[in-house]
Amino acid sequence: MEQSAGKMTSGITDPAPESPAKLELCNISKWFGPEGEGVHAVDDCSIEVKKGEFIVVVGPSGCGKSTLMTVGAGLEEPTHGEVLVDGKPAGPPGPTRSVVFQKFALFPSETVEQNIKFGLQMTGVSATEQETRLAEQLKIMGLEQFRRSYPSELSGGMQQRVAIARALVMQPEILLMDEPFGALDAQTRTILQEEVQRLHREMHYTVLFITHSVEEAVYLGDRVVVMTRRPGRIKRVIDLPRDVAWKTGDIELAAEHPEFIEFRREIWGLVREEIVSI
Amino acid sequence: MIEKRLERMGVMTDRGKATAYGIVSLSLLLILWICATSLFQWIEPRVLPSPAQVIKQFAWILTEPFSGLRLPGHILSSLERWGWGVLTAGFIGIPVGVFFAWNPWFKTFVNPVFELIHFIPPFAYIPLAVLWFGASTATQAMVVFVAAFPSIVINSQLGVAQVEKIYIDAARVFGAGQLRTLWRVVLPAAAPSIYTGLRIAISNGWMALVGAELVVGKVGLGFMIAQGQENASVATIFVGIITIGCLGVLIDTLVQRSERFVLPWRKVAS
Repeated sequence: MEQSAGKMTSGITDPAPESPAKLELCNISKWFGPEGEGVHAVDDCSIEVKKGEFIVVVGPSGCGKSTLMTVGAGLEEPTHGEVLVDGKPAGPPGPTRSVVFQKFALFPSETVEQNIKFGLQMTGVSATEQETRLAEQLKIMGLEQFRRSYPSELSGGMQQRVAIARALVMQPEILLMDEPFGALDAQTRTILQEEVQRLHREMHYTVLFITHSVEEAVYLGDRVVVMTRRPGRIKRVIDLPRDVAWKTGDIELAAEHPEFIEFRREIWGLVREEIVSI
Repeated sequence: MIEKRLERMGVMTDRGKATAYGIVSLSLLLILWICATSLFQWIEPRVLPSPAQVIKQFAWILTEPFSGLRLPGHILSSLERWGWGVLTAGFIGIPVGVFFAWNPWFKTFVNPVFELIHFIPPFAYIPLAVLWFGASTATQAMVVFVAAFPSIVINSQLGVAQVEKIYIDAARVFGAGQLRTLWRVVLPAAAPSIYTGLRIAISNGWMALVGAELVVGKVGLGFMIAQGQENASVATIFVGIITIGCLGVLIDTLVQRSERFVLPWRKVAS
């Protein structure tokens, strides 16, 4: 892993450089099929997500970044390496690590409120507590009038709001988001990017966010991890400025800021090398 | 022509169209039947009775016992056997199908036997059923069961196998164990396919039942038809055939309609 502290480090204000690692992916390698014969998706990737940090992983499509997420969530066992939460082996998937999937993965047979309450019911949260937290999430995500709708009655953007609410209602220590806005139209994506930015800023979630969009990475990330093409390795880690004005505002305004443009150019250059050299 | 006119009047929906076509084609059949019998006597009454004769016989069987029972009695005993057979097939078949899909090793192990069994026609079991249960309700119910079982198992298994992995992943992430994942996520997702299996089972069972009743038993619609043959009463046979057809359509419609209550989230998608 090559840690970049190059020319982009100027102006970084890391609020908590000493804060402990919340989620660690340690030397993760993943083969689908027999090692040496099957598909080598990820090779020796290490990522450390500190408490309250927003880490974005970018890379060309098919580079194994989603695999990294499924391994991080505990849905797949790594072939080599291990996943740690608070320094201890993470074990099977569970409510401390909530996931927002690219294709929403809402349960089609359940209404919005049933979907959001699913995890609370599975983990034995009391009925009154369930209602309180449900009401809170419906309010935050603006879903109150859709509580009795089925997912198939909602637009893609609304469905993804439900999926985010379903993840946040668990009050997770770690939030894993796998290209959550990849399936949405541009306008809806912009709105949700801004909302996720705001949520992170207000609630200080620890987030591992996967995307192929460089803009999204620059706008949302505290740090950006650039991956190589398959087998995915970590090409570069870039620290972004935190708590600067352009990150708290609208994404269109941010995109015009010279600093944003500079980072986007650098990261896009790194990603492009991986696409062109295929 | 009628359709065009109705369309102009603005009362023609797609569903209305289908109903209209249905009514027209059935009426044509009836008119043809009337022409062939009462009107022009193209066909002799002992080969094809007229609608009037069939209606008369129908009224007769409704009020007077035929071979011990009136028509509703025959219908009820047929429905009872059919119900037992289909219910048992559902109660055993759905869990078996789900278990097959949930445990692929088990499927590999049992499938050869199952493949073999499902190529044996249900009627081949009639002699066996008679030997096992005599001339009781269980005999025909067993034939219905045999006819209904495979489609329920196969479709339940397909339904579960086709559930996208991402839903199971989501259930795991949010803390559901195997059983609760199965109950809350997998079964509802597989339900439409299970429903299809049940519908096929219901019609297969109905056909097998009538076949079985032709051979064994002292009551039921199939038996009534067989008695019609014994007494050379073609009208009775027609009463039986028409009743069987109408009941089949009725049952299938009810099952189809029930889907939107049992699977309410599907009404939006369809």
